Amino acid sequence: MDIFSSVLLGFQVALQPMNLFFCFIGVLIGTLVGVLPGLGPVAAMSLLLPSTFHISPVSAIIMLAGIYYGAMYGGSTTSILVNIPGEAASVVTCLDGYQMARKGRAGPALGIAAFGSFIAGTLSIVGLMFLAPPLAEGALKFGPPEYFSLMLLGLIILTFLAGGSMPKALIMAAFGLFLGLIGMDIMTATPRFNFGLYFLNDGVGLVPVVMGLFGISEVLLNVEAVIKQDVFKTRIKGLLPNLKDWKDSAWPIIRGSVIGFFLGILPGGGAVISSFVSYAVEKKISRHPEKFGTGVIEGVAGPESANNAATGGAFIPLFTLGIPSNAVTAMLLGALVIYGMQPGPMLISQHPDLFWGAVTSMYIGNIMLLVLNLPLIGLWVKILKIPYPVLFPLILLFCLIGVYSLNNNTGEIGLMLFFGVLGYVMKKFNYEAAPLVLALVLGPMMENALRQSLIMSNGGAGIFFTRPISLVIMLVVMTLLVLPLIPWVKKKREIVAEISEDE
Amino acid sequence: MKNNDQRSSIIWLVIGLAIAVYSGKYGLGSMSSPGPGFLPLISGLAIAGLALVVFFQQFFKPGREKIKDLWQHGKWPTVLMVLGALVLYTLLLNFLGFIFDTFLLIAFLLRVTEPMSWKKVLAGAFGAAAGSYVIFELWLQAQLPKGFLGF
Repeated sequence: MDIFSSVLLGFQVALQPMNLFFCFIGVLIGTLVGVLPGLGPVAAMSLLLPSTFHISPVSAIIMLAGIYYGAMYGGSTTSILVNIPGEAASVVTCLDGYQMARKGRAGPALGIAAFGSFIAGTLSIVGLMFLAPPLAEGALKFGPPEYFSLMLLGLIILTFLAGGSMPKALIMAAFGLFLGLIGMDIMTATPRFNFGLYFLNDGVGLVPVVMGLFGISEVLLNVEAVIKQDVFKTRIKGLLPNLKDWKDSAWPIIRGSVIGFFLGILPGGGAVISSFVSYAVEKKISRHPEKFGTGVIEGVAGPESANNAATGGAFIPLFTLGIPSNAVTAMLLGALVIYGMQPGPMLISQHPDLFWGAVTSMYIGNIMLLVLNLPLIGLWVKILKIPYPVLFPLILLFCLIGVYSLNNNTGEIGLMLFFGVLGYVMKKFNYEAAPLVLALVLGPMMENALRQSLIMSNGGAGIFFTRPISLVIMLVVMTLLVLPLIPWVKKKREIVAEISEDE
Repeated sequence: MKNNDQRSSIIWLVIGLAIAVYSGKYGLGSMSSPGPGFLPLISGLAIAGLALVVFFQQFFKPGREKIKDLWQHGKWPTVLMVLGALVLYTLLLNFLGFIFDTFLLIAFLLRVTEPMSWKKVLAGAFGAAAGSYVIFELWLQAQLPKGFLGF
């Protein structure tokens, strides 16, 4: 099937009224959780996952994907208006966005964030369309050793980019891997590490872990600090950026899109890091770098485009290899498995309606977001004014219902609370949750690939280093492990860590 | 002990070693046919090894980081109360039923950070319990627990 007829098929699927409706719901909820501090796309997706069992897999994926890129849009609103990033990926937007708002230019800042996101989102979808199918074909040559090496690479990249201490991030990855192994062993049916709890024989569920680490723990931290919301008081007028704004932003948007897309493809890369890189690049090549941080529009346009383009890139490893690259795509992978799909290189050819439907729905979703975001900013500002003491009981309630309704089991609520406390303590001690979540999902897949590889090679670990593709990947892995020891790289990583801690 | 990273690394060392020791129980298999305990053993050893790296790394860091009391600011008793309420909610959920249990939880949570007037608290708790029942049970058809009162 050539790309034209594929796209046509995609639009046929995406334009069905039912799918349009779920796309709309997805981007609406996404924007909402993006706006609300302390509730991110991962928590929102796990919350809605149980309710998607009643609808078709295509509609479900369209909606869940909508939440993901919708949240990227919403996150910028809070960064600009309140100086609180709704999403980690919008941290950089605070630097210049909030300053623009203080100068009375909140409108153009919000406007360029929305337009930049739209342009970048669209560009990255085009990239996804052209790159994913050939990559999937290439991936058919992959055997268990290549898969194992690649998943290892994904984990290592994520810990490398995590900012902060790499050994600590690796501990989280190793612990996540262990959690992924809890439950029935696939080959021998031995229940492992179930601590006498029978529901653990099915494995540690992704949803309770994610809701605990990202939902409950965030609430606990916020309750302790009691965040003061200080919404910018001035009226927002004139959302449309003027001609000079456009001239200043055009190249940052294009550069941001390219940076975001390619960093998004990297397993373990993603929205957060690409927004940082885009900001750094814009500052470096700007003719007036000293003005960055005082409210220049390039500082909003670049990073906001980058984090949206990254969402498109992140779908590539998911749809071509069946390997998630971050916590959000890990959720989507979990969803695909629940719907009975086999993620991997065959996904695009076996379920073309799913892949092309989801991809084209992102075009439509991007248009919806543009239409939604510009006139609805007033509404989002109102939502931001809900005081936290009223908001947090509702967030907790949604988490409780979401986890319970997964299997109608209060044991899973207990599991979620356990991970909530764990996440709370870990954040106090500066451990990152994202490597844990990715490793949890990859755990069973990695175990399978490792065992198959060792059986193939009759017990020789050399199989990972003698097959060419696997060898190259392993060399990259080793380079990444050694790099932080080099003083120059070490310094760079520390700077990034400091910026992200300042949030 | 030098700083918080050293403290936390000791806990990870213990966790890693415990995982490694227990993995043996499930059978390690051989290199050519790894058993159920094989990868858990590796992950346990990795955790323990990395914990040691973090521990000794701290000796080579410039001395600006000290042990910080991570709970000196903020209102940690509130955190404990919220957590306690959630645990209690979970334990009572099947007995009290979703609506009643949720009503009690929300009422408590609305009072715990910044005490609001009782009128607002009761209205909010009722609204949240009834509203979420309508959305999740009636609309999304989740099966929420009924409890001894039958709803």
